[in-house]
Amino acid sequence: MNTHTSPAPTLVGGEWIHQDGDHTALMITKCHNCGSTWFPPREICSKCASGNVEQALTGSRGTAYASTVVRIGPAAFKPPYVLAYVDLDGARLLAHVETDEALAPNTPVELKVGAIGEDDTGPLSSYLVAEVSEAPTSGDAL
Amino acid sequence: MRPVYVAGAAVHPFGKHLGVNAAELGFRAVQELLASTGISPEQVDAGYGGSTYGGSLLAQRVLQRVGVSGPPVYTVENACASGASAVHLAWQAIAGGFADCVIAFGTENLSGFGGGTLPLTTNDIEISQGMVMTAAYAMRAQRYLHDFGATVDDLSRVSVKNRGNGALNPRAHFQKAISAEDVEDSRPVADPLRLLHCCPNSDGAAAVLLCSEAFAKELATPSIRMRASVVRSGDFHTSYRDMTWPDITARAAKAAYEMADIKPSDLDLVELHDAFSVAEFLHTEALGIAERGQAYKATARGEFDRDGRVAISPSGGLLSRGHPVGATGVTQICESYWQLTGEAGDLQVPGAEVALTHVTGGGIFGVDNGACSIHILTTT
Ligand SMILES: [Zn+2]
Repeated sequence: MNTHTSPAPTLVGGEWIHQDGDHTALMITKCHNCGSTWFPPREICSKCASGNVEQALTGSRGTAYASTVVRIGPAAFKPPYVLAYVDLDGARLLAHVETDEALAPNTPVELKVGAIGEDDTGPLSSYLVAEVSEAPTSGDAL
Repeated sequence: MRPVYVAGAAVHPFGKHLGVNAAELGFRAVQELLASTGISPEQVDAGYGGSTYGGSLLAQRVLQRVGVSGPPVYTVENACASGASAVHLAWQAIAGGFADCVIAFGTENLSGFGGGTLPLTTNDIEISQGMVMTAAYAMRAQRYLHDFGATVDDLSRVSVKNRGNGALNPRAHFQKAISAEDVEDSRPVADPLRLLHCCPNSDGAAAVLLCSEAFAKELATPSIRMRASVVRSGDFHTSYRDMTWPDITARAAKAAYEMADIKPSDLDLVELHDAFSVAEFLHTEALGIAERGQAYKATARGEFDRDGRVAISPSGGLLSRGHPVGATGVTQICESYWQLTGEAGDLQVPGAEVALTHVTGGGIFGVDNGACSIHILTTT
């Protein structure tokens, strides 16, 4: 990525990202009425419409459900780029993967923040995942 | 509910029709429908036009050119299920006794977008992360191969079968058979999918005439019975989900089979939403036509060939016909109409009496698809 006087990156989904040192977590919503888990977080449960919900942080480790290398796609993401559906503390979310190859199903991954592309407003960064060797843990969830 | 009949069908051939807008394509299909059924515009009680990118008042812009101006006319948008949703609303009008003769059509011109992947909805968390429809199906494919032991060769077999079927269809975008090697040699799009695992973006239009029993009897054209017409929306959640099981199709199918009092084993042919070759495995299983995780083996055994146990997409499917989004659901019903009236020519499934059409789509996060529609049609 260019470093010369480039504007501050747009942090896609930045309002849901929680960073503490090397540890990256995402804000999710747990519904106390029906048990649903939501990402992005919300004030009203989209399953039962209850307002009895809690905003919580995920752990930093999850598992890839499926993954692909997008070879033809929007120029802003500079194909080829790798996407994965990641299962993380009850939520499934789509994220870029810091790699050149698709992750095999069930690969353990860790949340990070990094570059995902560049559009007319400048560089784009967001939450993303990278493969980790250890098994996922969720003990650090709040 | 009153019985509903399909008494006419017309398709503007699918393909690249640069500069011919959706309203013009729709007009050509509807004009042919009127000519082939011999009805006059004042006999039409209502009109429904499905399109995703055709713009405001598309149905009026089409139907007023053939003299249908005055009665209720609606433009219906439901992504890939737009056309089938228009048919469903026409079915409701007749089944409910509010109309005796209704035109439903679907039309789209995608050439205006240029090449590549279609624009999806905006303000969507997955699209802001770079999601495209090909990626969604690529990940379903990766997981299906992983969970059930299928291979990329199995995916290619669907493309070869459906392109072979479409080679005989004068209305198809692609009218040329392909080999497994052609698929392997085609450009990678989103691993494990290659270009020939994906349907093309196309332009085209299709129209059907739906009517009551009494009205159908007055016409010279043959009629078939519409036994079931169902639309469902996606079950929205962001929890873990089995992406090899399109729940939206399973729910729509259950409702359709119950409405028609028909079992999957009664079907002679299915026009299925094979936007990507893996979709044929996912949906034949969700439709109850193949056992879970076994559709790829049934395909390899030839069970879904035109002369197989049940013909899947004998017209060529989206992989051959192409996918002018809003027109797809209607053209599936047109193709089935010609099958059940014995007018399908080279595409004819011998002795076809029961057909199912299935269309599903709409890429928004948190659901399998935005909308799915299933119709079941029978000869009597
Ligand atoms: Zn709830």
